[in-house]
Amino acid sequence: MLEIRNLHARIADGREILNGVELVVGAGEVHAIMGPNGSGKSTLAGVLSGRPGYEVTEGSVLYQGQDLLALSPDARARAGVFLAFQYPVEIPGVNNMYFLRAALNSLRRARGANELDAGQFLKAVRAKLKLLEIGDDLLQRAVNAGFSGGEKKRNEIFQMAMLEPKLAILDETDSGLDIDALKLVAGGINKLRAPDRAMVLITHYQRLLDYVVPDRVHVLSGGRIVKSGDKTLAAELERHGYAAYEAA
Amino acid sequence: MSSPATVKNAETLREVAGEGYKYGFVTDIESESAPPGLNEDIIAFISAKKHEPAWLLDWRISAFKHWQRMEEPHWAKLRVAPIDYQAATYYSAPKRQNAPKSLDEVDPELLRTYEKLGIPLNERAALAGVAVDAVFDSVSVATTFKAKLGELGIIFCSFGEAVREHGELVRRYLGSVVPQGDNFFAALNSAVFSDGSFVYVPPGVRCPMELSTYFRINAAKTGQFERTLIIADKGSYVSYLEGCTAPQRDENQLHAAVVELVALEGAEIKYSTVQNWYPGDAEGRGGIYNFVTKRGACRGAHSKISWTQVETGSAITWKYPSCILEGDNSVGEFYSVAITNNLQQADTGTKMIHLGRNTRSTIVSKGISAGRGQNTYRGLVRIQPKAENARNYTQCDSLLIGHKCGAHTVPYIEVRNPSARVEHEATTSKISEDQMFYCQQRGLSQEDALSLIVNGFCKEVLKELPMEFAVEAQKLLAVSLEGSVG
Amino acid sequence: MIVKAETAPYVEAFAQRDGTDEPHWLAARRAAALANFGDKGFPTRRQEAWRFTDLRPLQRAAFPPVSGDGSAPFALDAYRCPGATHRLVLVDGKVAPALSDLGALPEGAFLASTAETLAEAPDLVAAALEESDAQGNQPFASLNAAFFTDGFVLALEPETVLERPIEILHLTSAGAPRSHHVRNLVRLGTGSRAVLLETYAGAGAHWTNSVTALHLREGAALHHARLQDESAEALHFAVNRAHVGRQARYRSFVLTLGGRLSRQDMLVRLDGEGAELALDGAYLLRGEQEATNATFVDHAAPGCTTRELFKGVVADRAHGVFLGSISVRPEAQKTDAHQLNKNLLLSRRATVDTKPELEILADDVKCSHGATVGDLDEAALFYLRTRGIAEGEARRMLIEAFAADALERVEPAALRAYLAHHLQAWLGRGEEGGR
Repeated sequence: MLEIRNLHARIADGREILNGVELVVGAGEVHAIMGPNGSGKSTLAGVLSGRPGYEVTEGSVLYQGQDLLALSPDARARAGVFLAFQYPVEIPGVNNMYFLRAALNSLRRARGANELDAGQFLKAVRAKLKLLEIGDDLLQRAVNAGFSGGEKKRNEIFQMAMLEPKLAILDETDSGLDIDALKLVAGGINKLRAPDRAMVLITHYQRLLDYVVPDRVHVLSGGRIVKSGDKTLAAELERHGYAAYEAA
Repeated sequence: MSSPATVKNAETLREVAGEGYKYGFVTDIESESAPPGLNEDIIAFISAKKHEPAWLLDWRISAFKHWQRMEEPHWAKLRVAPIDYQAATYYSAPKRQNAPKSLDEVDPELLRTYEKLGIPLNERAALAGVAVDAVFDSVSVATTFKAKLGELGIIFCSFGEAVREHGELVRRYLGSVVPQGDNFFAALNSAVFSDGSFVYVPPGVRCPMELSTYFRINAAKTGQFERTLIIADKGSYVSYLEGCTAPQRDENQLHAAVVELVALEGAEIKYSTVQNWYPGDAEGRGGIYNFVTKRGACRGAHSKISWTQVETGSAITWKYPSCILEGDNSVGEFYSVAITNNLQQADTGTKMIHLGRNTRSTIVSKGISAGRGQNTYRGLVRIQPKAENARNYTQCDSLLIGHKCGAHTVPYIEVRNPSARVEHEATTSKISEDQMFYCQQRGLSQEDALSLIVNGFCKEVLKELPMEFAVEAQKLLAVSLEGSVG
Repeated sequence: MIVKAETAPYVEAFAQRDGTDEPHWLAARRAAALANFGDKGFPTRRQEAWRFTDLRPLQRAAFPPVSGDGSAPFALDAYRCPGATHRLVLVDGKVAPALSDLGALPEGAFLASTAETLAEAPDLVAAALEESDAQGNQPFASLNAAFFTDGFVLALEPETVLERPIEILHLTSAGAPRSHHVRNLVRLGTGSRAVLLETYAGAGAHWTNSVTALHLREGAALHHARLQDESAEALHFAVNRAHVGRQARYRSFVLTLGGRLSRQDMLVRLDGEGAELALDGAYLLRGEQEATNATFVDHAAPGCTTRELFKGVVADRAHGVFLGSISVRPEAQKTDAHQLNKNLLLSRRATVDTKPELEILADDVKCSHGATVGDLDEAALFYLRTRGIAEGEARRMLIEAFAADALERVEPAALRAYLAHHLQAWLGRGEEGGR
């Protein structure tokens, strides 16, 4: 599904943030990437999704066998890459439903599926709301505008459910959530696990992993993956902190 | 080696590519035109052509004398190529001007033109319940739903017809809001105006349909000098739509319309404009000079005038739809979206003159600059000494797309009464890369993302438009910004 | 030379003045500036920047340029800044050594009268005249260039830090109408820092016409506060031109309390990347007073910041004017500019004109402005009264709170306290105008 080889990337001021990342994620797998602040977690999410402001200086990313880095952000989205933002962007004046329908139909066109009309779309929305056990209170508001932190994250998971990606990258989706919101969001993620869908959870803390159990855990430090293991690695990190890896 | 995708993304936001004017085509209808130039003989010719009464010819001549003493205004933030007023033609009319009794009698070529514009007259009139007074090159050629309006006592006709049939009404109100010598272009219009629309809504009548006029500029070198007069008598209501689009031209064409609105006690006038005249090509060649004077008087207590405009066309736009709030508790509103792309220039805004007690005004202006466009909001809020408890709220937001354009905000606030409360807020920012990226990450193309964000930015204004106009306006915003991102 | 009628008394006075001992270059500059003044004449309301200003008080009489000899006795106490300062006092436009107390200036600091500097370091003064006096559209600045005899010069070598505030008192004595033209220069070298307090006060129906040039080099920082508390008959025009270099910080506050007709023109150019500007002020007007604060901020370099707040309290038949222009040049990306003007109108015949203006030619900017005009908040007034505070007192409290808000960014605290003290004195001087 996803194959990252020797990935180096820097930001606008020239600082090298990623320093040879190696990562292979197979279909149906859930990988957690953990690391201290400044280790390059968000940069990795940014580079994979094509966010402006990063420059890849070396290495490659293959996604379903094609060169992911050659695609524009929207082409990546249409190819099935979804990024749940750490800070979902507010777009005042644009209705959430309208936005989602435009996005969904854009993806469906790319897949050769028919576009959904208003009725079909609404039906799909209802089904996903039910699946995720969330209310429809956010739908008629402008995209993320004036949403609380928890509402924004919930909206991201809802969008993921609607857009049905092949590769979902969740960037600090647990940050800023209280325990109830965390459970709700984690429950949503679990329901969206599927044999043909890979997920990359980027997180600073272990607590999300209490609810979403990963297949693999990686420690990112200094722009590289310095250790990989199974879910027990997360618990170990929680006990001993990142200090042991800082120097790496 | 850099990632092509990420770099392209950043760069293309700044790229400006050309996109032809979608509605650029010319209809071939022979015109009967006056010779170029402007003098009292030409004015007499226009007046005679239109079988006008002597008082109106006198009125035109007096306006002309004002105009001769006036100078072109140069205070706006505009670069205007010199206009040779003696080279323009001040009258032209389609040859077959016998008023058609039904759509069958309308020149088929004209109907085809409307179809190309996406305004099929027959369908649109029937489906949307809109009465269309189509002004084609200065003379009305089709008016529908007249009978239905007639039953309610509503007069909706061409200006020329109003002069003939309702002379006293026209005489009473013409120039009462925009005097002959008000400004250079209004004076010019008063001298040579060709035709336009006239509306009178009798006391207590709520006009049951949106009244709509489509303007076109067709004959070469013909300035378009529309004159619109709308009178809403006591307790009445009318919503008027004006939409413009024009065929492609090489040379600059002057348009100097005058619109006067009069709202008597308890009356409400809603005036909506979607302006999409030929803006000139990507190099700034051609395009319409749109120098318009629009003003409404809230004469009576509790009256209301609301202007909504979506300005996407013209090479130069110079217009300030204004409200004179004379009546106590009267309300003025101005909602505006102005887009400048390529080399377009817009200097637009409003004046809210508060004279009466408890008068209220709201101004919401959204300016969008792309390409090398220059966009200026210029507005005046004046609270006169007797305007007790007057209120104004102004919000002006500017959005910049690309780094070669400009956005300017020039509000004047003059307060002469301590009980007034006036608030003005303005912001200027570039289109958010975060918003663009968020939309693209969800699978929208750059163009779609831009269109979506811009429509969101303009929402407060677009929601003021009547439904059928709002859809058209949203499309126009997208079309107008095509090519502003790669 | 074409001479506008209203300029005749000044042109004549120039012909009669004794400038024999001046260097040739200075005489030439004075003559060119006077020619410009004679050519431009007084500004008129047809000029956009002057459309709200009523110049009749200036036109009713001639104000011959006469400067005193600096010997008039003066009670400074009311306007002294508490604490230790470096003090320079001018009386009727001329430095008064007897009243001044420069104290011990650190090495690298130069503070002297303009007249003295002309004799000792003429290049410094020449630099202050490298302005547009000979062609520009500020006729009163040109008039000043023609007639100035004195003022102050503050120059700091790189990295010089003045611990104590510089205190400049511009005082005037009563007498026949006359004009005082002071020319001031502030030059801060790289990384230098200073606090500057200027006070304009005194008696009589004179006309103060001052021009100040400020240059802040890379990393320099200046806190600049001005109090204009001239007599209710006085005329006061001031042109301040500031150039702010890379990473330099300029904080300006001007408190206008006095003067029949006054105008502050503040032209700031942010020349170097990352420069920071705080341009604030307050004007409290009553009686027949008219005051204009005109600010022109030119963002000429990327990454600069402007914060601008002007608050007006206008009572009786007074007239407050705010003209605020922020322009952003195409190369000034990442500009962050905010401007706000808020006004309280306290009487039926008081008027306010405000014109906040943005002109933006770069795209990656965050710019905003706002303006409000209104009366005191009735709900707040009522709230105070329900707590037993009499109406007059409640109104004073709210007015003070409104105006004092503008002082919040003034530093150091001693300057803020000084301005707050004079603001309270103004409020205490009488009921604000009846409604």
